[in-house]
Amino acid sequence: MKLRWPWRKREIELEKEIQHHLQMAATERNERGTSFREAQASARREFGNVDLVKEITRDVWGWRWLTDIAEDARYGMRMMLKNPAFSIVAILSLALGIGATTSMFSIVYGVLVNPYPYAHSDRMVHLTGYDANGNRGFPNLTGPQLQQLRQATCVESVAAMESWNLTTTEGDLPEDVQAVYLTSNSFVHFGVPTLLGRGLLPSDAPEGQDPENVAVLGYDFWQRHYNGDPNIVGKSIQLVHKSYSIVGVARPRFTWGDGEVYLPLKITADPARTAFPMIRLKPGVTRTAVNAEFQSLLEQFAKQTPSHFPEHFRVAVEGLNDHFVSDIGATLYLLLAAVALLLLIGCGNVSILLLARGTARQHEIAVRSAIGAARSRILRQLLTEALMLSLTGAIVGVALADGMVKMIVNWLPEFSFPHEAAIHINLQVLFFSVGLALLTGIVFGLAPALQSAHPDVARVMQSNTRKMTAGVHGRRTHNILIACQIALTLLLLAGAGLATQEFVSMMRVKLGYDPRNVMSVGVPVHDNTYLTWEARKNYFHQLLKKVSELPEIVSAGVSTNATPPENGSELNFEVSGKPAAEQQSARVNYVSPEYFSVLRIPLIQGRVWDEDETIHGLKLALINQTLARKYFPEGGVVGSEIRMPEMKGDPPFRLVADGSVGWFQVIGVVGDARNDGLRNPTKPAVYVPYSIRMPVWTQILVRTEGSPLAVLRAVRQQIRTVDPDQQAGRDARDLNGWIEHEPEWEQGKLIATLFGGFAILALALAATGLYSVISYTVAQRTSEFGIRMALGARPKDVLLIVFRSAAVSVAGGVLTGILLAMILHRVVARWFQGSSLDVLIFAAVILLLVATSGLSCFVPARRASSVDPTVALRYE
Amino acid sequence: MKERYRNRIELLQGTLDLLILQTLLWGPQHGFGISRAIRANSGDLLQVDAGSLYPALHRLEKQKWIGADWKVSENKQEVKVYRLTAAGRKQLMKERSRWEQISDAIGGVLNPAK
Repeated sequence: MKLRWPWRKREIELEKEIQHHLQMAATERNERGTSFREAQASARREFGNVDLVKEITRDVWGWRWLTDIAEDARYGMRMMLKNPAFSIVAILSLALGIGATTSMFSIVYGVLVNPYPYAHSDRMVHLTGYDANGNRGFPNLTGPQLQQLRQATCVESVAAMESWNLTTTEGDLPEDVQAVYLTSNSFVHFGVPTLLGRGLLPSDAPEGQDPENVAVLGYDFWQRHYNGDPNIVGKSIQLVHKSYSIVGVARPRFTWGDGEVYLPLKITADPARTAFPMIRLKPGVTRTAVNAEFQSLLEQFAKQTPSHFPEHFRVAVEGLNDHFVSDIGATLYLLLAAVALLLLIGCGNVSILLLARGTARQHEIAVRSAIGAARSRILRQLLTEALMLSLTGAIVGVALADGMVKMIVNWLPEFSFPHEAAIHINLQVLFFSVGLALLTGIVFGLAPALQSAHPDVARVMQSNTRKMTAGVHGRRTHNILIACQIALTLLLLAGAGLATQEFVSMMRVKLGYDPRNVMSVGVPVHDNTYLTWEARKNYFHQLLKKVSELPEIVSAGVSTNATPPENGSELNFEVSGKPAAEQQSARVNYVSPEYFSVLRIPLIQGRVWDEDETIHGLKLALINQTLARKYFPEGGVVGSEIRMPEMKGDPPFRLVADGSVGWFQVIGVVGDARNDGLRNPTKPAVYVPYSIRMPVWTQILVRTEGSPLAVLRAVRQQIRTVDPDQQAGRDARDLNGWIEHEPEWEQGKLIATLFGGFAILALALAATGLYSVISYTVAQRTSEFGIRMALGARPKDVLLIVFRSAAVSVAGGVLTGILLAMILHRVVARWFQGSSLDVLIFAAVILLLVATSGLSCFVPARRASSVDPTVALRYE
Repeated sequence: MKERYRNRIELLQGTLDLLILQTLLWGPQHGFGISRAIRANSGDLLQVDAGSLYPALHRLEKQKWIGADWKVSENKQEVKVYRLTAAGRKQLMKERSRWEQISDAIGGVLNPAK
């Protein structure tokens, strides 16, 4: 340390100088006749206090304050090491508070406030429409319609996209690649430059011609598939037997549409080809103005391409983030509140510990004061010690924050936040929590010196402070702090109880089907293949047959859009002979007959259609119990007829059996299976053969003996025997996985786990705080207890005294906590969708808190009551 | 012992500086020697205790009015020897004239001119 050297040198020099002086003085006396030893002694006496001289001289150099601080720091370190329990608890309390708060806030900020790297992302919107039943949809527009959209007054720039699954036909098995087709102005529209090479240019997709075979790679795909090869620009990639030249690589945060490759989109006048519009509004336009303008525009479009729009709809554009905010925003804010509580509790703990220790140090401070320490010196010493503790806590807290951010981000539900969000530690909050921790440490560390405004030194020293209980002031602060801690802990525990209750009830919900050992394998059909109804129907049929041949498979069925727990297309329906008073809609599912046996959905009435009827595309339908109960209350289901007027074809994409689909004959009723998520009740559902309407993808449900994913490779190979280029969709998941990936499941799990974790931490902290206070109080009152026991008190009486003194603060805390919980209940219940905390769980949580507090008091109290009275009396 | 105690005049900080600078006018000297010189020249009246001397010496050194060198003495010991610097000489003149002014002023009060 550079600063040490000159100072050290000066110290040594001063020592030499003084020694020389003493020696000369001794020699002088010796020469005058005194004995050598006497001469030395007298010389030293004349000199005076060597250390004092040294200190005053040091003062002159102006470095005194540095040596003082170093001394204080060393003393502080010694004190910290001598009381490891105290130090560890204090440091951990601060670290946990800081770590948790910073990480949660960083996540909230990253996800909600500023997730996108695109230019002016606040002006970018999705075109969204709501049909008469309130269902949300995203209309796709044709080429000419997009042009018209561009001319709208409130629009600054429009790009469009289509996404599709392509295959790399380079490996042994075709691999799924998520391709996003973008209009050539897209990279300008987004305003994000590429990492390598260039983005798409207008020259890549000239008007009216086929686009060039160029591709821009997504960052993750480039890393994964090409190992981040820096010379990738210019090489080519083969997708579905077509070779594309790679012209660039996107930046890591550019993940629009989760694309792995970005290809140029061809915009034509063909009314059958549509694309998803991406709009940036002009600055200053209001949402209402935009919605109004788009409403009239889209109504025009609906007349042009009626099959793309529901009959009645309302336009309401959504900002990029609106969807995510409504999904997870509330959750994150709730967690943030929980974590803020933890921070407060942590600070409270440190305060208690420092206060308690401070009271015990009154004696030491009085002695220092008596020796001659100035008040400022004492304050500086206490400040240094407090800062050391706080700084250590802060450093550990920062490390913790970093780890916790990574951990929590892994747990966030997959689609609940935009992937472009770069979540890292938010510096402002870090500084805030560190600042708060330091402030707490300083304020409560200085408390003992500030408390003794008039240090009646003599009295304090003589009366042996340890024998007295702390002055009334100290006790009251302790009690208030403990009560606050306990109240906040109760809040957290109640929150955790509620969250866990929610999640457990979701886990136990009755599904209506059996998801075990079933997986769903997606089959995305390639562009321009199987363009006729016959061809596609036969293709799907062949796929199913081939897959079913595998010996490990118990049963397999086609489920185009029917994989639970959220499935089916919402369509309006009519029942013949029963005119509808209002709009009635149901979830329509396109399945093969094996679907019901694969999922073990029971047949209640009637029969299921068979393979033959599927192949002929006969118009037969099954309904679920909810629909039967609602619309056929007096029975007569079998034999009635049902029609879905909106069910239309859309060649070459969605192929239907005849030109327009007419009346279906209802041949039976099946049991209810959850189709609107895990929490909502089952919606009315209609099941029809998949051959009735086939889009360019489907799914095969497979039930196996053991784990279904083990059979995936075999299934993929079977698929390949039908069409060697056909790849399976990348996210083949077993049905339990489908459930666990439902946002509400993941959210529920996240909240329950985090809340539970925080609550346990808070409980541990509060218990430790209580324990520390009781321990110190008991230690101070040891001789008092000795006297009591000598006068006849039994150990049980001493125990009671200790408990009683703690009972007031604990009881106060619990009551305040209950009050706060009831007040906040309204607020919180809204976010938990109206469910309320079971009274039993609340009572259990209170009991847990009281029991833990009791235990924290019990241990030191027991120690007090079991001490030998004679020892206690003599205790200094 | 008691008599020496009574005769010990508490020296103001500025005055001690003056005495030290004056002593060093007669050549470089170490700390002990300076204290002895002051005592001798004042007729045993002014006894500077170490608690005042060394801080003063270091203060003067810091202000660059005296300089210090480490020399080796006869008995092979390292000794810190102080000497007067040019700036110190100037400061000495200033202090002397100030002292004489104060002295005259006090004298004027004690023995008022008739």
